[in-house]
Amino acid sequence: MDDRAAALILAFAWNLFSSWIGASPGRALVRGVPRWEQDLDWNRTLRGWFTVLFIELTFFSGWLITEVDLPSFFTKFSKASDIVRGLVHPSGVVLHQGLVLLVQTVFLAFMATAFAIPLAFVLSFAAARNLTRSSRFSRVMYTAVRTGMNFTRAVEPLVWALIFISWVGIGPFAGVLALWVHSIAALTKLYSESVESIDPGPMEAITATGAGTFQVLRYGVVPQIIPPYLSFTIYRWDINVRMSTIIGFVGGGGIGYILKPRVDLGEWGQVGTLVLLIAVTVWLMDLVSAKIRERIV
Amino acid sequence: MSGGDVPAVRIEGLGKVFDGRIRALADINLTVREKEFLVVLGLSGSGKSTLLRCINRLVDATEGHVWIFGEEITAATGARLRELRRQVAMIFQQFNVVRRHSALINVLSGTLGRASLLPSLFLKFSQDDRERAVAALERVGLGGREHHRADTLSGGQQQRVAIARALLQEPKLILADEPVASLDPALRHSVMRHIEALNREEGLTVICSLHDVDLVRRYATRVVALRDGRLVWQGAPDELNRYTYREIYGTEAEPATNTVM
Ligand SMILES: Nc1ncnc2c1ncn2[C@@H]1O[C@H](COP(=O)(O)OP(=O)(O)O)[C@@H](O)[C@H]1O
Ligand SMILES: [Mg+2]
Repeated sequence: MDDRAAALILAFAWNLFSSWIGASPGRALVRGVPRWEQDLDWNRTLRGWFTVLFIELTFFSGWLITEVDLPSFFTKFSKASDIVRGLVHPSGVVLHQGLVLLVQTVFLAFMATAFAIPLAFVLSFAAARNLTRSSRFSRVMYTAVRTGMNFTRAVEPLVWALIFISWVGIGPFAGVLALWVHSIAALTKLYSESVESIDPGPMEAITATGAGTFQVLRYGVVPQIIPPYLSFTIYRWDINVRMSTIIGFVGGGGIGYILKPRVDLGEWGQVGTLVLLIAVTVWLMDLVSAKIRERIV
Repeated sequence: MSGGDVPAVRIEGLGKVFDGRIRALADINLTVREKEFLVVLGLSGSGKSTLLRCINRLVDATEGHVWIFGEEITAATGARLRELRRQVAMIFQQFNVVRRHSALINVLSGTLGRASLLPSLFLKFSQDDRERAVAALERVGLGGREHHRADTLSGGQQQRVAIARALLQEPKLILADEPVASLDPALRHSVMRHIEALNREEGLTVICSLHDVDLVRRYATRVVALRDGRLVWQGAPDELNRYTYREIYGTEAEPATNTVM
């Protein structure tokens, strides 16, 4: 069956489906539809037809651009079955090296998180709207920190890893730095959101005693944010463990560092062992972090 | 007021507009003498909290001036503003104690305006202040509760912690914003009593907003009433009656049936 025909048929089917469930794309997607059109079915207005046409064109071009290949998907599974066989028959050859690197992976994530905490803690006050309304200086600081952190967060840890590998060389420390930078930005965002949701009452009470800025933060803000900060920090460590399993793909240390060559060589039994080790670790971290966070909140 | 006395609070032409459109206060003129127990009456939304907060600058007025013991707080900034705030303790309807701190640390936080910065950031206070904090808790009937976390105390106990905090601040003026409105009616006197003691025994000036007319009669030495952000009535507590009540709250309002007026 020709790809293009399949795309057209799928798009048409989707189109029929959406009009069948009563979702009118013309009305949902185009704002400011005139009153007189709102009560009409989508297929009775020109705007409705154009919207549907536009969505179908997007879907159709996406099909071509991403080279969707349904026949391969359905007929060539046997090639990949090697991997599945490897997963089911893991090889003991890499078990020892894998376990050692797994410990490195977890500590890589831990160090990245630990280094990020103090910086994110300080930055989170500057990035909280409710603490930065009073002066011009603090408003400028808010915008600067927010913008910087949004930019930092927009760059994926794998890209940061490439940058730090050329800086400090291949190895786990480059991975620590990559996850560190990303974690500062992510934690600052999470932390500052919990600062923004505090009860302003105690802050006012401390301000009214004649206390200075740092005392107001220490007494009126910090006690309220400690539980959410702990919770977010453990959550971040959990995410960092996930990320540090693949940061080795580009040379950032951790278990990914030996996984990549085994995939390239087709050592599926060894790949199976490593993938299982990663899965168990991530699953355990997830479990432990959820349990701890449950107890904090 | 005898000539030459500096009033505790002098307010002239005070006005506040929130967000450029919500008028909370308009043209307030008011003088509070030392040692008065002034009660502010008014429906909710009439501007009581805003008025009290303009006095210690938790809210910045948009018009007018406020003097505290002769010094203009509306013109003060930085260290000068904090110095003036130190003389004015505030008690809140929601207590506003630090929930995760002990009762003792909460009381000690009243000294922050004069405590040295670095130790205070590590919750360290002088032995002298600690002893005074213990005594203050004793005084409000919370002896032995020093090390209880504030959020394990009942509402009435938290408000008494807040009063002890105000004591440690060694203020000359107390602003109390509906201090008993969140408490069980049976407990209201147990809190008001302590505020009254500060007024009678320590000679502090008190400005207190209240709802309950019985409490007003029992504790006030003078009453002012706000309506839609304006001062609409002033008088002695025993001048409150059915007619003044309507003047304050509007013609639809009726005094509570069990209140003899
Ligand atoms: N922070 C604020 N932002 C906007 N409007 C406010 C704010 N605080 C109070 N107001 C408004 O000002 C008016 C007076 O409020 P408030 O002083 O709290 O009255 P009261 O204490 O007598 O109930 C109300 O209309 C209220 O909605
Ligand atoms: Mg109020």
